Amino acid sequence: MGFKLGSEEVVVNGPKVAFKVFGLNVTETVILSWVVMAVIIGLVLFMTHNMSKDNPSKKQVVAEWIVETVNGMVRDSMGSKNLVYAPYMATIFSFSIFGSLISVLGLRPVTGDFSTTLAWALITFFMIQYAKIKNDGILGYFVGFSKPIALLTPINIISELATPVSMSIRHFGNVASGIVITQLLYFALTGLSHAVGLSVFPVFTIGIPAVLSVYFDLFTGFMQAFIFTMLTMANVGAAYPEEEQH
Amino acid sequence: MSENGFLSFLSIDYGTIILVLINTFILFLVIKHFLFGRVNKIIEERQADVRKTYEEADKSMAHAKELETNYNELLSSAKDESAEIVKNATKKAQVRSDEIITNAKTEAGSIISRANEEIAHEKQRAMSEMKNEISSIAMMMAEKIIQKEISQKDHEALINDFIENVGDDAWQQK
Repeated sequence: MGFKLGSEEVVVNGPKVAFKVFGLNVTETVILSWVVMAVIIGLVLFMTHNMSKDNPSKKQVVAEWIVETVNGMVRDSMGSKNLVYAPYMATIFSFSIFGSLISVLGLRPVTGDFSTTLAWALITFFMIQYAKIKNDGILGYFVGFSKPIALLTPINIISELATPVSMSIRHFGNVASGIVITQLLYFALTGLSHAVGLSVFPVFTIGIPAVLSVYFDLFTGFMQAFIFTMLTMANVGAAYPEEEQH
Repeated sequence: MSENGFLSFLSIDYGTIILVLINTFILFLVIKHFLFGRVNKIIEERQADVRKTYEEADKSMAHAKELETNYNELLSSAKDESAEIVKNATKKAQVRSDEIITNAKTEAGSIISRANEEIAHEKQRAMSEMKNEISSIAMMMAEKIIQKEISQKDHEALINDFIENVGDDAWQQK
């Protein structure tokens, strides 16, 4: 993807293909997602190492807080019968937030690749279909598309398919726009440094992008991870019949 | 889709999708097992502990109540017993004190009567002693006063009269 700025062109690339395995591209995204996984797994193992029932350490308190919070959110939006989904919600949230936050280190965010967010949205999509078939039966599942009236069947199918598309594009678009804007800003600030005769040392690229980074990396990263997880919970939870309030 | 080893900015890459799915699944297993599994286990253990503690507290409470009723029963019976003991002791003490008082009274009576006897005896002795003393004094006086004027016969009659009078109550009162 390129932008023309006067006579020069800014090229914003997709993820680099590192190598190929069995004809599958192993891209920057996948390698960085391994890094992110390693960080998350390391944190999990560190926090839950040597846990004590009677006098929990600070890291154990944090681990318990995380589990309790996720359990509470899943219980609120999906009902206490669906607590089995809590570990998945924690997975998708942590993967998404750390995958976005690595851009703070100057790396390409994992979530800035449409394939990543599409993969997650597909999981959500199949979870919703699984929940519907499980609750309505295979026949009831297909009959469900023609409700409330048969005329709405195509629209129901489209709305069903739109859920993963909108979720994945929302997440990808927010993070990717951050990548694009940051690259454009770097280009512009380097150009500004050249214009005032500081071509050896582009002084304007120090500090100013950091302010933007707080918004695009920290705020957007957190918000999109939260939105994606909440939408997954809400959509999958909606596929289950309403639980009686207790 | 590849250009110079880069994928295009908006691309759908099957390799990435499959590998991200695998990665997500692995991360899910780790988080499920190591984070949620361990923490939920700890929390459940803690809840079980709390439940156990409450049950034990209830049990101890019931036990304490039982003990309390037992002790109250024991206490009331002990009170009755002690009252009985005190009553018996009082009765015994009364009997004993009565005995002591009677004994003391009899003893005092015997002491008084003995003392009275002794007094009477002593009085008797003093009286006879006095009689003898007075008679001799009277004799001496009479000898001195009348020396030769009174005959032996008159003399004896006078003394006897005098001695008779000494034994009288009238004289004694003087």
